[in-house]
Amino acid sequence: MLMPRKVAHRKHHRGRTKGLAKGGTGLSYGEYGIQALEPGWITARQIEAARIAMTRSIKRGGKVWINIFPDKPVTKKPAETRMGSGKGNPEFWVAVVKPGRTMFELSFPDEGAAREALDKAIQKLPIKARVITREETI
Amino acid sequence: MSETVLNANPGRATGSSTSRRLRREGRIPAVVYGHGMDPLAVDIDRRELRAALSGAAGLNTILDLTVEGAVYPSLIKDIQRHPVRRTVLHVDFIQVNLNEEVVVSIPVTIEGEAKEVLQHNGLVDLSMPEFEVRTTPRNIPEGITIDVTDMTMDTVIRVEDVELPDGVEAAGDPDSPVVTVLTMRAVVEDEPVAEGEEGEEGEEGDAEGGDAEASDGDGD
Repeated sequence: MLMPRKVAHRKHHRGRTKGLAKGGTGLSYGEYGIQALEPGWITARQIEAARIAMTRSIKRGGKVWINIFPDKPVTKKPAETRMGSGKGNPEFWVAVVKPGRTMFELSFPDEGAAREALDKAIQKLPIKARVITREETI
Repeated sequence: MSETVLNANPGRATGSSTSRRLRREGRIPAVVYGHGMDPLAVDIDRRELRAALSGAAGLNTILDLTVEGAVYPSLIKDIQRHPVRRTVLHVDFIQVNLNEEVVVSIPVTIEGEAKEVLQHNGLVDLSMPEFEVRTTPRNIPEGITIDVTDMTMDTVIRVEDVELPDGVEAAGDPDSPVVTVLTMRAVVEDEPVAEGEEGEEGEEGDAEGGDAEASDGDGD
């Protein structure tokens, strides 16, 4: 799973996710992509699950790019613990995603198979998302 | 290449709220600049723009931008889009001299089937979907088609290898790859999840973030 090798601070604040994505909204590498339509946290496990769903669906002959990186640690207190005694331990890593962000890209010769693979990957994500292509209208 | 007339209204008020009002009315805020002229804030009709750019040249259409009788031969320099809806929010027009060279991006398509690549389970990858060329506005090609039939597993088509029409030259690095062949790796099992390897307190260094991580299709 994706996670940073080293970090400056082990525990982050949760923060707020306001507004739309400022960059990374189009396709940079592949012909198809998955674009977020809602804000949210995508965990490293969800990214990995989506990647596996995509690569298993296309089997051979495609290339996948992951454009987001889970660099935010999320802490959790152990079960049945009294409140207090400081912040919990880092449990998992998330990528903060805003609407419009292209999270995955895919290059594959067959459009139908590519869309099917991306739809399977979207099912592994906790937010609404859609498939985008390079064709854009005015 | 044909020229298309596009009418623009000058004197729009700048600012986000007036721009939003314009967009609600079906108009797009835009700016014209280039060739020493002062930037001119204008607004254009969305439908007219769509019709003007629906020709074969697409975004590289030479537009005769008409602002109160004055005609500015222009190309589209930049289009800003809404990150989710993908509608056009703003257009930058750059005035051009039809006899002077400009640098524009044109779309690249591949044709043919690289049989040898397919036999070896490779994938022909178009690594440069848009190709930068330097030419006069009237000579801008609609696109480039690259034949990949003779590609082998070791072939890389670079910028210098691409055949361009007369009067058109490549503007990018001649060594940059345009079409490559990706070799598929053998299937690799997932590594076990590393527990307790989170960053340690007090360590310096920044987390990797945002960079695209690529993997081949069968690497699960």
